Amino acid sequence: MNRKETLNYCLDSLKKAGADKAACTMSISEKKELNVEIGDMTLLRTTFNTNMGISVIKDQKKGATSINKTDKDSIDVAVKQVLEMAEGSQPDDAYDISEKQPSQTFSKGDSSANLDNMYQSLEGFVDYVNSTYPKINLEAAIMDFNHSRLFFQNTNGVDFEVREGMYGFSPMFLSKDGEHTSSFNYTGISALKLDKPLHTYGTIDTLLKESVEQLHTESIKDKFVGTLLVTPDCMSDFLGFIIGDISDGKMISGNSLYKDKLNQQIASSDLTFHSRPVSDEIADGYFITSDGYVAENATIIDKGILKTHLLSMYGANKLGRHRAVNDGGAYIIDPGKKTHKEMISNIEKGVLLARFSGGYPSSNGDFSGVAKNSYYIENGEIKYPITETMVSGNVKNMFTNIDAVSSDRIDFGGGILPWISFKGITVS
Amino acid sequence: MKYDNLKKFKNSFSNYTELRVQENRNNRLNLTNGDVTGNVCTRNSGVSARVFKDGNWGFSSSPEINNESIEQVVNASTSNVQFMNKKDSSKCGFFLPETQANYNMDLTTKKDRQSQKYWLDFVKEIDGYVEKKYPELLSRNLIMGGLDMEKSLFTSDGSESYSMTPRALLYAMLSIEKDGAPFSLGNPWGGLGQMEDKFIEPSNYFTEIDILVERLKEKANGVHADAGYKDVILDADLAGILAHEAIGHTTEADLVMGGSIAGDFIGKEVASPLVTLIDYANSCNGEVCPVPVYIDDEGTKSEDVVIIEDGILKRFMHNKDSARHFEEKPTGNARAYEFSDEPLIRMRNTAFVPGNNSLEEMISSIDDGYYLVKTGNGQADSTSEFMFAITMGYEIKNGKLGRAIKDTTISGIAFDVLKTVDMISSDMSWSSAGMCGKKQLIPVGMGGPAIKCKVNIGGR
Repeated sequence: MNRKETLNYCLDSLKKAGADKAACTMSISEKKELNVEIGDMTLLRTTFNTNMGISVIKDQKKGATSINKTDKDSIDVAVKQVLEMAEGSQPDDAYDISEKQPSQTFSKGDSSANLDNMYQSLEGFVDYVNSTYPKINLEAAIMDFNHSRLFFQNTNGVDFEVREGMYGFSPMFLSKDGEHTSSFNYTGISALKLDKPLHTYGTIDTLLKESVEQLHTESIKDKFVGTLLVTPDCMSDFLGFIIGDISDGKMISGNSLYKDKLNQQIASSDLTFHSRPVSDEIADGYFITSDGYVAENATIIDKGILKTHLLSMYGANKLGRHRAVNDGGAYIIDPGKKTHKEMISNIEKGVLLARFSGGYPSSNGDFSGVAKNSYYIENGEIKYPITETMVSGNVKNMFTNIDAVSSDRIDFGGGILPWISFKGITVS
Repeated sequence: MKYDNLKKFKNSFSNYTELRVQENRNNRLNLTNGDVTGNVCTRNSGVSARVFKDGNWGFSSSPEINNESIEQVVNASTSNVQFMNKKDSSKCGFFLPETQANYNMDLTTKKDRQSQKYWLDFVKEIDGYVEKKYPELLSRNLIMGGLDMEKSLFTSDGSESYSMTPRALLYAMLSIEKDGAPFSLGNPWGGLGQMEDKFIEPSNYFTEIDILVERLKEKANGVHADAGYKDVILDADLAGILAHEAIGHTTEADLVMGGSIAGDFIGKEVASPLVTLIDYANSCNGEVCPVPVYIDDEGTKSEDVVIIEDGILKRFMHNKDSARHFEEKPTGNARAYEFSDEPLIRMRNTAFVPGNNSLEEMISSIDDGYYLVKTGNGQADSTSEFMFAITMGYEIKNGKLGRAIKDTTISGIAFDVLKTVDMISSDMSWSSAGMCGKKQLIPVGMGGPAIKCKVNIGGR
């Protein structure tokens, strides 16, 4: 059986066995991965995998399974098991599958990667780090190319096919000088093509340079309430709280702080925030949602007003609200008017937060954590890298206290994010 | 799935080679306010090979498990190491230490396996108890599931092993509203074994749920911790995460080679003489640990690693390559999560060794401090600077427990904090629910006694 025939066989088997509705996905992926360990290129991995995801609804009861085999015997076993799981579950009117849409095929990225070119690119990065920043220890760096094909079908006649090739690069490093050790730092990017030196992507070169500066840190003298300038690398930690609170888990359980805030102001009017998985600006987006809909771009917060929750089909049915047009991710924040350097010059006292080592904020939004790889700002200037410094506040309040959003932004491949300054954060 | 006779592929090996067939099986049930929000089983299996030659490694994996695919995986990983060696021959002449060990461990339940419906009824009974007794709760989330990791290994050194290591967990996360704001508290139960062996009766958890709700209400009515450098007692959960995150990671030999601060401290005093810290391979005081490892995924017999002994940093955790670099013996810490993952240096069961004090003595010795009971998560740095979220704790005033505190954070430099340890309790308990992330996930055990020390605690 070819791939589509395999999915058809799976769906037919489910229907014959009594399923009312069912959806199947099949993905086939091949990854080439070069690894740097302790500054040395030491490992080449080539991995192949397949995955079949099967979900079924019978008498409004649902079960789901996934296996990484596509032979008939394995599918027969999985079909039997997933139906038993559904039959043993409890009914919920909110379970459903996506309705029929025109069949579509999507494609992006290279079909294969030249391993010699990948090696040369990574070797160039190692040489650059060694020659430009001799005090840096490159703990690890991974460069990979992942090629995948995804097929989605359901019993409503939905039929999608996606082919994608994507490069990824993620270095992790620290600096060492005698007995002085800096905090480790890391970042990551994804790209459809690797057509420039690796250190020029995202914030990689900036973070390498800062790592060396952070060999010699100082403690903040006194506790104060000031401005937190959050870097693009660190922004996801705070956006993640809002995302979590407008998604299925918190919304269905009733714990979301934003459950009744649709079309209301939840952040400063300086913040406009999108999820654009099918935008040309985003390399590492996606074409279809996990529920089996064609993904669309969405504005989540427009000038501080919450425009959509991120509910799946189940979450939307459960709560009687609208399904989000995508699964989130691929976040883009609109630029502000001043560069982040101009923003620093306006800060009387604060912290440039480059990495946040903290617990997930508590349900009410309170957070506290350690400012890592970060700097003390006073009278409009960066003074010194800091150590043992806690920052604390409340995420919900923080987004209503935005001071400015930078005009310059960083493209990570999977998102485009600026620097944002927040007032009223406790630093101790 | 046990794969017998991987040895028959030995003739395909042309260099140092590890050949592993593995299957991970997961099942999970989620109940949110009584609704089934997850009812999922997954099964992921395949074969992988890793080859070492002249200081480089080649790895390959395939989901197909048959003679042809196994040969292909060995050949592909050999081709991969040849590619690396063509690019860089500067490490020619590097050889790994040879180890040979044989062990079979099968922790599959001897009981009849139960259906997903049985476990759904089980968790629904617990949920029904919570709903009826505590209607004031804002939300109830219960998760129940199991992970079976089954591995068959053969190496060119002649090691051969089979292991089926199961873990079963039940997790409850409850929340309550107070003054318009939600407060949450969770707790895991379970550990080593399949669900049939770990979970006998739903009613066994009713008292545990009562305690969880009582603590949640205490927290919702609690006070914010007073920020500053304080005397604290870290209960076993906290001591375990301090052992794992803040000390353990800095003493994994690959991170030492990467520049972790522990590399400067070997043989030096890094803690109070009361402190001994061990990464146990498989058993502690005659009891099997939460994640027993008898032979690691490089075929090395796993041994306990005494990291700190009486306050002195003694040893790092090794795989074969780091042992070659440090001219030490491999310690059996190389583990992989999925069939498609290469083995990395990972902790197994990391814990402080108990001392001689009672918890009551420790509390009564503090005039103004905190007894910290539960952690949400934790992170640490190559400098041993750590941060742990505190999700449950109490004030200590004049030697007595006081009011509960709201969620907060503690932080410090672990090697400095350990020097302030002046009391350690004589009891010991393990946390069996931990998953550690370091390129790959891996189940870990952590634990210990309660320890008294000084840390920075965040306030509001």
